Amino acid sequence: MSRRSFLRTSAVLATGLAAVAASLKPLFEMEDFTSAEQFMQKYYKELTPDEMAKVLKRIEREVEKQYGVRPHVRDLKPMDGVEFVYALNLSRCIGCRKCVHACVAENNQSRNPEIQYIRVLKMPHGTFDLEKGDHNYDTAQVPEKGFFYMPVQCQQCHNPPCVKVCPVNATWQEKDGITVIDYDWCIGCRYCEAACPYWARRFNFTKPSIPADRLNPEMAYLGNRPRKQGVMEKCHFCVQRTRAGRYPACLEVCPTGSRKFGNILDPDSEISQILRTKRVFMQLKEDVGTNPRFFYYFDV
Amino acid sequence: MQARNRTPMVLTILVVAFAGLAAAFLSDSWGYPAPRAIIPPVDRAILDPATVRRSYADLVRAKEDLSDFDCYACHEKGHPPPLRYDGNQKLIVPPEHADVVMGHGTHGRNNNCFNCHNENNLTTLQPRDGRELKLEESTQLCGSCHGPTYRDWDSGAHGRINGYWNTKLGPAVKKDCVNCHNPHSPRFPGRKPAPGPHPLHPVAEPAQAVEAPPTH
Repeated sequence: MSRRSFLRTSAVLATGLAAVAASLKPLFEMEDFTSAEQFMQKYYKELTPDEMAKVLKRIEREVEKQYGVRPHVRDLKPMDGVEFVYALNLSRCIGCRKCVHACVAENNQSRNPEIQYIRVLKMPHGTFDLEKGDHNYDTAQVPEKGFFYMPVQCQQCHNPPCVKVCPVNATWQEKDGITVIDYDWCIGCRYCEAACPYWARRFNFTKPSIPADRLNPEMAYLGNRPRKQGVMEKCHFCVQRTRAGRYPACLEVCPTGSRKFGNILDPDSEISQILRTKRVFMQLKEDVGTNPRFFYYFDV
Repeated sequence: MQARNRTPMVLTILVVAFAGLAAAFLSDSWGYPAPRAIIPPVDRAILDPATVRRSYADLVRAKEDLSDFDCYACHEKGHPPPLRYDGNQKLIVPPEHADVVMGHGTHGRNNNCFNCHNENNLTTLQPRDGRELKLEESTQLCGSCHGPTYRDWDSGAHGRINGYWNTKLGPAVKKDCVNCHNPHSPRFPGRKPAPGPHPLHPVAEPAQAVEAPPTH
């Protein structure tokens, strides 16, 4: 090999390698790589307690790496003799949307793009036609005359269509009535989103972004741990709170006390009182046969 | 012989292609990812689960300054303060009590302070049944007229409860009537709603639907 050809070949080779490396830039910028540990993880229902503990440690590690906040991740199981039911007083709701944002803060939803589990529909008096509802209202003051406000979120159906369509069983109904999602098992096909008659499921089209100072460190595996791009999420009645005995975040922040939650199997709970004594007018879209655990009721 | 000649050409083309791709990525000529609209974080006041008002019982519990409730700092014991009315039987609120809005009831008929306050002891309340209640016990006073609402509140169907639904695991904090309602003007005030959803791809105002002509 002559000196000239050696130099020429090495120059071309160096340029070529540098160019290949530079053209792979987008690959290096990809962050959300699935770790081998997560990839090899077993199905939620097959995990032994030891394996679950390891999974929770992995999640804590990953969240700390990404947000710089050490979370407390738990795997809370449903309680015996408990079935959750939600009731919402349409006579009292003023449509202030505090519940929407308390939910986002509690459940670590993406802030940009914005993911919200609760939609507050502004409905004209005299109809329950959901097509007439508007959730983009922005008035100086609520409530407005001639309208009522109807917050809609996951209805935790007895007969959930979203669970039936899931091809990988990444979503299922637990015995306390909460339909949960395993974010590590979801393949992001969005069948459940299409199947839900309440528009209650949300998809992470992009990598969720949450400011670290707004991250809620009290997390549950099936609840509010941070999601990745390409998975579904939805309201889960705040499992990280309610399975520890607390009220959901949307209820605690409601200024009017329109939101009521409790154990329907306890005859003395306020939710049992309401369903027994108040004018419970409906389950939303009763006619589609989903039989929600979310009731709307009136005073008087 | 031909294959030997083609190799440098293919290599050169590849190098040029990769160099071009690299230059394009480095200069970010696609502008990817597209910049997103900035969504300001919501005001933390929106996330605050506190009730809109604080009751007298709350103030006592928090050991706050209760000098506002010391009626006999100004009033004289044993002399019920006189009430003055204008020509329309409307109570004239003295300037010392300018913060009191007489808005309880819809027809202006509830215009007597001593329907609820005790004229003989201003630091207590008096329901119509002759009991004498402390300021902390105001729910009893409200319940003496608003029976069905009191029944609902008592069972948990009306009003706010914070804390634990499962009282074996923690306390449930039941809020009083005056935590949400101003006793002098009980209608719950309106407020500015928290920001609505920011869609990633905002839709333009929907055009007025045009009725399609029948096709048959």
